[in-house]
Formats: sequence, C-alpha cells, structure tokens
Amino acid sequence: MLRMQMQQEKHMKKQKKYRVLGPMASVFESMKTGSWRLERPKVEFSQCSKCGTCERYCPANVITIHKEKEECVQFIWDYCKGCGICANVCPKDCISMVDERGEE
Amino acid sequence: MAGYMMLDGNEAAVQAMKMAKVKVISAYPITPQSSIAEKLSDLVSDGILKAKYLRVESEHSAMSAAIGAQLTGVRAATATSSVGLALMHEVLNVASGCRVPIVMPVVNRALVSPWSLWCDHQDSMAERDSGWLQLYCENVQEVFDFVTMGYRIAEHEDVLTPIMVCLDGFFLSHSMQKVLIPEQSEVDEFIGDYIIKNTYLDPTDPMIINNLTSPDEFTEMRYQQKVGFENAAKVMDEVFLEFEEKFGRAYRAVEGYRLGDAEAVIVSMGSMSGTVKHVVNMLRSEGKKVGALKIVSFRPFRNDLVNEMLKGIKRIAVIDRTAGLGSQGTPLWHEVCNSIDKASSDVIVKNYVGGLGGRDISIETIKKVFADIMDDHSQNRSPVWIDVKENAMDIRQVYINV
Amino acid sequence: MINIKFYGLGGQGVVTAAKTLSVAVSIYEGKYAVTIPAYGHERRGAPVYTDIRIDSEPVLANCFVYEPDIVLVMDESIREKNIDVSKGKHHDTVLVLNTADGSVARSYKDAYGFKDVFYVDATHCALNNIGLNIPNGAMLGALAKTGVVTINSIEDALKETFGEKAGVKNANAAREAYEKTEKI
Repeated sequence: MLRMQMQQEKHMKKQKKYRVLGPMASVFESMKTGSWRLERPKVEFSQCSKCGTCERYCPANVITIHKEKEECVQFIWDYCKGCGICANVCPKDCISMVDERGEE
Repeated sequence: MAGYMMLDGNEAAVQAMKMAKVKVISAYPITPQSSIAEKLSDLVSDGILKAKYLRVESEHSAMSAAIGAQLTGVRAATATSSVGLALMHEVLNVASGCRVPIVMPVVNRALVSPWSLWCDHQDSMAERDSGWLQLYCENVQEVFDFVTMGYRIAEHEDVLTPIMVCLDGFFLSHSMQKVLIPEQSEVDEFIGDYIIKNTYLDPTDPMIINNLTSPDEFTEMRYQQKVGFENAAKVMDEVFLEFEEKFGRAYRAVEGYRLGDAEAVIVSMGSMSGTVKHVVNMLRSEGKKVGALKIVSFRPFRNDLVNEMLKGIKRIAVIDRTAGLGSQGTPLWHEVCNSIDKASSDVIVKNYVGGLGGRDISIETIKKVFADIMDDHSQNRSPVWIDVKENAMDIRQVYINV
Repeated sequence: MINIKFYGLGGQGVVTAAKTLSVAVSIYEGKYAVTIPAYGHERRGAPVYTDIRIDSEPVLANCFVYEPDIVLVMDESIREKNIDVSKGKHHDTVLVLNTADGSVARSYKDAYGFKDVFYVDATHCALNNIGLNIPNGAMLGALAKTGVVTINSIEDALKETFGEKAGVKNANAAREAYEKTEKI
C-alpha cells in the first residue's frame, strides 16, 4: 500500500506540460447536468401513492422512492435536468413543474 | 399561383422531394440533416405524401434501399450528411455505376475527427469521384430549385447519373428564408412522372443485377459513365434555360458576378458565395474592381465556362471549405488552375482554406482574402489558411509524467 | 440592411422568435429576411443566440452578425453567464430587454452604452396570456416598438407560426408587451 503511494507520488513530482495534437482531452470536467434546469419537479408528498412510476420513467435515473420517509420522492438535484417527464407520467398528478428561480 | 413560403434549407429540400412525388423514402437521421428525415416521415404519416417510409438502420442501408426501390420504377428519396455520407461511400458508387438517377440532398458537415456538427465541404468533397453529379447551393431558394431541376438532369436518358444537391449545414439547412414555391401542376409539367429509361427490377420476377464484371467490360462501363457526365453538362444547361423560361429564375452551372472590368475575383461554392457577392458590392462602392465566380456544378466541373469567364482576370482567389490535406491545394483550386489558359504567366491563382468545422466565413474573412490577393507579391503558392488562429499548434496542453 | 442579434436561454424560444420575425417582415411586409441560427450543444438553460438580417432587397450575406443594429435579450440574467450582449455594438445600437425592473434596464444602458433601451416584463406577459414562461412572442411585441417591424405583422406571423389557438395567445402576449414597453 505504502509502496503504491510512493510510486504515484514519484510520478506526480515529475510532471511537465506537453502539447497535445487533435481532440485529446486536456481537462476533464464532469458535467453537473442539473445546472441546465429551468424548472424543477415539486412533489405533493401527501398525495403520493409511492407507486414508483416517476422513478421508472426518469431518463436521468435521478429519482428514488423512499416508502418509509415522509419526503418519499427524492431527486438527485445535481443531475435532474428538469425535463418534466415525472410530472407528466405521475398517475396521481402530484408532481408539478415550478420555476427553478421562482421559489427561492 | 406560385406563392412565397418561409422555409429553411431542409424544409425546401423536403418540399421539392414532396412535389416530385417520391414513392419510397429511406433516410437515416443525422445532424444537421435530421429535419429532412423527420419532415418526410411526417408527410407520410399524415397521408400528405403517398409514399412508403422505410426505417433503416444506417446510411449504408438507406442508400441500398433507395437504389433497390428506384430500380422498381419509382423515385426514391434519401438524404444525409457528414459521416453518414462517408458510410454510404460504397453504395454511392453502386448507385452511379448501376445508373440509378437518385436525387439526394447532402447537408454539408465536417468529417470526424475532431467531431463537429457544423458546416464544411469535406464530406461531399470526399465523394467527388463517386460518379455522382454535384450541385452546390447558395441560398434556400436554390435548394428547392436545384432539387427540382436535379430530377430532370439526373433522369435524362443521356445522363442517368445520380445527383447530390449540397447545402451547407446550418448556414442553409437551418437558415429560414423567403422561398417562391411553384404550384404542384407547374412542377408536374416540368419534371413529370418517373419513367424507367434503363434496366429495372420487377418484384414479381426477381433477377440479379450488378453482377461480377470482368476486365473485358469494366472499362467500357466506366467509359459510359464518363459520357454520362459529358452529356450532363449539356443537359444541365438546357434544363437551367427551360427552368428560367418557366419559373423566371436564371441559373448557370458557373455564375459570374460583376466580372466586367474586374481585376480580382474570388471563386467559391455554397452559402459563402452570397457573402462574397455582398463584399463585392461593398468593395465596388469603394471603387475597387472586384468580382465573384460561383461554382454551382462541381461535378461535372465546367472548365470551359470557368476559363471563359475568368479570361483576362489576373488575380484569382479560390476559397475552399475543405483542407485538401497533403495536396498542393484544395479540390476546387486544382479544378480552377487546370481550367484557365496557361498562356498568360502573370495570372495568379491563389488557394485559400477557410470555414472548416462551422467556422463562419464572415464579411471580414472575405475582405481579408480580397486584400491578400490584390496585394500578392510572394512566389509562395501553398494554400493560405485564411482564418486559422495564431496559436494553432498550442491550443491544448496537458501535464504528462516524464 | 438591419442586423439583429437575439440572445436568450435554451428553451425560451430564441430560434423560433427569429423565425417568426422573418415571417413577419418577409411575408407580411414584403421585405427579405435571413436567419442565421447558431446551434451549439443543445440543452435547456444554456445561453443561445441567433442572428437575423433584414433588407428591402434580397439579402446576400450569409454569415453571422458581428455589428448588430438591434440587440434583443430575452433574459436579464444573461450577463451573469459570461455573455457580453454589447459585443460589436456601434453608437446607434439599441437594446430590447426582458425585465420587470426599470433600474435593471437603466444599468444595462449605463454599463454598455446602448443608444436606447426598450424594456418590458415579457415573462409576465407570457405567463399572463400563454400560461408558460416562454417570453419569445412577447419579446417580438417589444421589438416592434423599435420600428423595425409593425406589431400587426408580428401578430399575424405569430398566428401563422403557432397555429390558431396558441397563435392568438402569443399574439395577445405580443400586443400586451408592445403596449407596456418603456423606452429609456
């Protein structure tokens, strides 16, 4: 374990700036797609039947149903693009799309 | 009565294909061609266009299906762009070799790599020897008109050669412009029903075509294609004239713009030609003697017309939206150089590369080209990359372990 | 020739607005317009822009606009996203801005030095008439205040672009915005 760490550090110390040609990545930034959102889904938790339809339809896979919790529908806000599919498919009509900037 | 419609380049292409009453559509969507595939699909599903829409899994299949369909005696439609056209490469040559006169809009987009969604001409330039005719459009009206005329030219019994109508991605495909669309009856009169003039397939009596051909006949069949191209030049001129008579819009295989007394001329193709004309007008109003030459028909290339129209002009700038890597110059530059009489050695034909991967060929860029060609004293004739950034070799740097 | 640049956020209908404007001037006013849309990596909320050239003669130039005569901004937050809406501005360039707040409009005018600033709360007009936060139709109403196009042509073009039902709502939003537009 220590040996591996030393190996890594050895290389890190000897870094040099090089030119790359063509579309090689020079910086990798994972994109937080949540920043694209104009509207966000808002759940009326008291109406929710926890059926999981929104969870299944979410194209970004950012919805989790927590049957035991009061706030039973959880979104990963870093990656919810605000597409509104959850609101469209909800059989109880308890998800509405609200202005991203309007609430705060 | 003909009427004005607001259309983008893709919609204009669809309108023309619809009015040509295509019966089979096999298109695979690709940016920036997608809306052609989508609109054709809409027209079929809404029952406006009585045609069969085939869902294919690639451009290779799209062209294969279009060839098969058209050989049964109907007009087949397809369209593509960039890597889609590259994937068609093999089958493009089947279409031209089997003399299947398909009319295909090609929405020009850069080839990978690097990935780009945006316009340049490398995709269709890579297919310049595939045995297809190629027309390049300046504006959206030309997209409609050239697709419409494309059926007449390609299907002519002396030509029987497929045709690409090339329109610049986004600059035309997504640019909305005012287009005069004729009545269906006028289009019917002009292009008429599809008539089989060559071999055809009967689905009830299958047979094999495109069989293995020995060296004994191969050359002759290529020669037939060469004759087809020669005939296409003549037929194209006739169709342009007939179109002008009927619809009032004049087109030529090579179009000169304010060439009288011009001392410097830019030769260009596609949507940049409009910007070149705009700059010509600007510079003319300042008293500069400049002009423009627009190549409409790149295949066949009309060296006769180019030579005649550039006669007496000493400074000729050829702009290409393709890199021409490893060559002395870009494809259009080669064609222009070989077209003009070598007699006068004081003629300068200089090659410019620009507008790659969607880079805008702006009014400033065109001005820069005119300034450069009018003040050229160097003997260096290698292509000038007119809009390349100074730090081209150092745009990306990384830390790497030594 | 009039060169126009539209700025907005993805999803606000910037490209549709440009198309509608070109319908308005080309079909209803007998002029010529060319839209030059700048498509990028499409996503909602990203800054987008599109260019339009309008002339009484057919427009030859087919390249982006670098020196706009009119700049239209659909979202006041655009300047916080590293977008300089005054880029290429000359001393007669005017701004059409979507904001409810006159002081924001004033700050745009002072910071960038536009000749005139026309502003309206187009978002409110859109919500009022369409029920959606898509301010493009309303912004075209505000644009009509600059005189580049008439409000009647904008209304007709909106009806053509959006069809009977949605078109009337958008036309109403445009009319409301036109009447409420202030100039400073």
